[in-house]
Amino acid sequence: MSIAAPQGAPAAAPVPPEPGPLPVNYLNNGHSIWSWLFTVDHKRIGILYLVSISIFFVAGGIAAGIVRLNLLQSDGAIVSEDAYNRAFTAHGVMMLFFFLIPAVPAVFGNFFIPMMIGTKDLAFPKLNLASWYVFMLGAALAIWSVLVGGIDTGWTLYPPYSTRASQSNVIPGVLGVFISGFSSIMTGLNIMVTIHKMRAPGMTWSRLPLFVWSLYATSLIQLLATPVVAITLVLLMVERAWGVGIFDPSLGGDPLLFQHMFWFYSHPAVYIMILPGMGVISEVLTCFSRKNIFGYHAVAWSSMGIAVVGFLLWAHHMFVAGISFYAALLFSLLSMLVAVPSAIKVFNWTATLYRGSISFQAPMLFSIGFVVLFIIGGLTGLYLATLGTDIHLHDTYFVVAHFHFVMVGGMVMGYFAGLHYWWPKMTGRMYSDFWSRFAACVIVVGFFFTFIPQFVIGYHGMPRRYPNYPQEFQFFNVMSTAGAGVLGVGYLMPAVYLTLSLINGKRATANPWSATGLEWVSQSPPPIFNFDESKMPVVVCGPYEYSLGVDQMGRTLPDAPTGAPAELHEGTAADGHGPTSPAKQES
Amino acid sequence: MADPTPTPGATNDDPHGIRKDLDKPGQLVVVFLAVLGLALVNIFGSTAMGPGKFTLPFQLAVGSAQATLVGYHFMHLKNGDKVVLLTALSSIFWMGILFVLFLGDYMTRHMIVD
Amino acid sequence: MSAKHNTPALKHHFEDLGQQHACERLGIWMFLATEILFFGGIFGAYTVYRYLYPHEFEVASSHLNRTIATINTIFLITSSLTMTLAIRAAKLGNKGELIRWLFVTAALATAFMVMKGFEYAEDFHEHYVPGRMFQDELKSARDEIAGKSEEDAKKHQFKPERQKWAKELAVQVNHKHVDPGKVQLFLCFYYIMTAIHGIHIIVGIGCILWVAWEAWRGTIPPENYSTVEVVSLYWHLVDAIWLFLMPLLYLTGAGYKH
Repeated sequence: MSIAAPQGAPAAAPVPPEPGPLPVNYLNNGHSIWSWLFTVDHKRIGILYLVSISIFFVAGGIAAGIVRLNLLQSDGAIVSEDAYNRAFTAHGVMMLFFFLIPAVPAVFGNFFIPMMIGTKDLAFPKLNLASWYVFMLGAALAIWSVLVGGIDTGWTLYPPYSTRASQSNVIPGVLGVFISGFSSIMTGLNIMVTIHKMRAPGMTWSRLPLFVWSLYATSLIQLLATPVVAITLVLLMVERAWGVGIFDPSLGGDPLLFQHMFWFYSHPAVYIMILPGMGVISEVLTCFSRKNIFGYHAVAWSSMGIAVVGFLLWAHHMFVAGISFYAALLFSLLSMLVAVPSAIKVFNWTATLYRGSISFQAPMLFSIGFVVLFIIGGLTGLYLATLGTDIHLHDTYFVVAHFHFVMVGGMVMGYFAGLHYWWPKMTGRMYSDFWSRFAACVIVVGFFFTFIPQFVIGYHGMPRRYPNYPQEFQFFNVMSTAGAGVLGVGYLMPAVYLTLSLINGKRATANPWSATGLEWVSQSPPPIFNFDESKMPVVVCGPYEYSLGVDQMGRTLPDAPTGAPAELHEGTAADGHGPTSPAKQES
Repeated sequence: MADPTPTPGATNDDPHGIRKDLDKPGQLVVVFLAVLGLALVNIFGSTAMGPGKFTLPFQLAVGSAQATLVGYHFMHLKNGDKVVLLTALSSIFWMGILFVLFLGDYMTRHMIVD
Repeated sequence: MSAKHNTPALKHHFEDLGQQHACERLGIWMFLATEILFFGGIFGAYTVYRYLYPHEFEVASSHLNRTIATINTIFLITSSLTMTLAIRAAKLGNKGELIRWLFVTAALATAFMVMKGFEYAEDFHEHYVPGRMFQDELKSARDEIAGKSEEDAKKHQFKPERQKWAKELAVQVNHKHVDPGKVQLFLCFYYIMTAIHGIHIIVGIGCILWVAWEAWRGTIPPENYSTVEVVSLYWHLVDAIWLFLMPLLYLTGAGYKH
C-alpha cells in the first residue's frame, strides 16, 4: 500500500451511497428507444448484441431441446424424422452463426476492447452500429426460414443434397448466414484497426491484456476466413437457384470442393468461437488467483499460433469423404499441431493457479469449468485428428460430444465467465453471489451428464444426425436428455438472477474484483466516453501486476474480494481506488 | 492530454502533413503506360502463344507485375505504412494457403497407395 | 491544443488527424484483404476445375469476346490513373479538379459496364449461357452431324440459325472427347466472376459519385482527403482483380485452333 497514486484522485467519481442517482454514464444518457437504435457508442452496441444473442441462444436451445427429447425413444419420441432434421439444423445454424461467433467478440469485444486499451470508442463507430443491423437482418432471414418450414440439410449444407434434393428453405437460410457474415467481418475489422491504431499512451503490445490479444487473433480469422465462406455460399445459392453445376457431380462439379471451401472458413471459425473464451479465462484466472499470468508472451503468441495454424487443418473434416491420402496425412499432422498452442495455454493457466490466493466467485467457477471441459474436449479432438481412429469415429456421437465439450463446455462457459466478470462494470450492479455460484455448479454437472454419455454411444458407433438408434443405446440417450434438462435449468438461472440484479442488485464499485485492467479504472457503469475526458489513461505497467497490487496506471488496487458477500460488496463501496484498510474506512 | 510528437512531414502551411507524399503526375502517367503496355503484352502474347504449357504462367506473371505496379504506386504501398503492407501481404499469403492446400489434395488424389 | 486538434474534419474519438487517417487507411486495407479472400475463394474453385478440365476450359474460353474485354481493360486501367489524380487534387485542395477527375473515373467505369452489358447481350443472343439455352443449341447442332465421321462433320453445312460456337463445339463433343458439362462449368465461372466483379464496379461508381457530391458540397477539404483515398483504394483493387480475370477468363482460349 506504499505506492501513492501518481494520478491523484481516482478517475471515476466516487459512487454515492444508495439510493442516490448514478453519475452520468452510458446507460442513463438517454432512455428513448432511438437513443439505443441509433447509438454509435460501442458500449450500447455491445448491449444490443448481448440482448439479441441471448434471444438466439434461447432459440437454439429450444431446438436442442426438441432434438434431445426426440432421442428419448429409439424410434423418435415427439417429432417426425423430417422435423427432426429441421430441428438439429436450426440448432446448429442458430448456435454457431448467431450465438457462438458473435458471442464474445461482438458483446465483450465491442464493450471492452476500447476500454481495455484506453480509448474513447472503436475506430469506426458507425460501422459498428451497421454491423449490428446487418447481423439482425441476417438473423431475421435465418429465423424466418426456420419458422416457415426450416432447413433440413444440417448446418454444413453439403451439396448435392442442399442444392438438388432438399425440399426446404435452403436459400433464405443460406442468405441469412451470408449476410450475418458481413457483420462478423465488420466487427473483426473494427477491433483490429482499433487495437493497432488507438492504444492509450504507454499501452505497448506487450502490455496488452490477454483478452485483447485473443480478440486480435479472433479478428484475424474473421477477416481472412469469412469472405471465403461468403463466396462459397454464393456459389451454393447460384447452383440451387439456377440448377447449374458447380458442385453437382452429375454436371461436372466436385462436391468435395464445396467441403474444402466451406471448411476453409468453418474450421477456423471454431477458433473464432473458442479464442475469445480463452481470452476471458486469462483475465479471470489471474484476477481471482491474485497472481500475474504465468508466461504472458507464451499465452499471447499461442493465440496467434492458434489463429494461423487453425487455417491449415480444415480437411480433417473430410478424411472419409475421399480426399487424397497424402493430403489426409498432411492434414492429420497439422491438426495435431494445433494441440501445441492450446496445450501451452492450459499449462500456463494451471501454472497461474499454482500457489495463488484463489477465491471462488462465479466468474472463477465458470473459468475453472472452462479449463476442465476444454481439456477433455481438446484431448478427444486428437482421436479425431488421427486417421485410423477417425475412420471409426467419424460422424458419430463421439464427434458431437467432442465439439460440444469445446464449444459449450469451453466457449459457453467462457462467455458466462465473462458475463459474470464484467456484469458489474456493464450494469453497475452486483448479482447474487450464492445463486451465481450455484448456477455455475449446476451447469457443469448438467453438462457432464449431457455429453459424457454421448462419448460412450459414439464410441460404440451411434451416428450423429440419426433420429433412430438401436435399443441398447437408449439408457445413454435418456441420461443425456436428463442432463440436458439440468443444463437448461442451469442456463435459465443466470437469466433470472442477472435480471433481478438490475432491479435490486447492490451498486457495484468501480473495481469490485480488484482487477488490474484499464476497464476497472473507470466508474461502473462507465461514462459516455469510457473515461473522464480530461484524464485519459496513461499506461505505466503490464496488465497483471497482482503481485505489486497496482493497476495498469500504476495505482494501488482496492482490497481483493475475499469471497464473503458482505465484504465483497460493501468493503470498498466508498472509493473504487486507493488503500482501503479498515482503519481508513472508519476514519 | 499532452500533445504527442509532431505530425511527420508537417510544415507551416501544411500542419497535418497531408502533402508530404504528394504524387508526381509524370510518374503516375509512366506507371499507367507500363500497366497498359503489360495488358497489351498479355493479350497479344497469349494470342500468339495459344493454349500451352507456359501460357498460364506467362499470363499470371504479367498480371502479378501489373497488380504490383498498381499496388505500389496507385495504392500508395510505397508510402510505407508497415501495417498496411503487412495487411496486403497477409491477404496474399492466406490466399496462397487456400491454393496450395486445395491443389495439394487434387494433385495427389489419383496417386494410389499400396 | 495545437493546430492539429482543432480541425472540423477530426472525429471526436481520435486524438489527431494522423491517427484518423491511419485508421481509415488501415481499415480500408483490411476490407480489401477480405475482398482478396472473397475473390480468392472463387479463383481457388476456378483453379481446381481448370486443373481438372484444362481442355474444356480452353475450348469454352475461346468463344468469348476478346475485343470487348480488351477495350474494357483499357477503360479500367485508365480509370485507375484518373482516380489517383483525384487524390492528388484532393490533397492540394483543388476542388474543381477533384470533381473533374472523379467524373472522368465514373464515366470510364460506366463505359466499362455498358460494354459489359453489350457483351452479356451478345452471349445471350448466341445462347452461350449455361442451362437449357446452351444444351438445346448444342443438341440441335449435334443432331445435324449425328452419325457423320469427323471429316464429314467438319465440312458439314450447318443450318444458318446455328451459332458459330455450337457448330465447333458439336464436332469437338462428338469426336474429340470434349465434355459439354465441363464447358458449361467454365461458363458458370465466367458469368459468376464477371457478375460479382460488375457488382463491385457498380458499387464503385456509386461511391465515386458520392465522393464527388461531397466534394461539391465542400465537405472534402484537404484534411479529409482520406475519404477520396478510401474509395480510390477500393477502386484500384477492383481494377487489379480485373487484371487477373482478363487472362483467366478471356485469354485462356486465346489463339485456340478449332
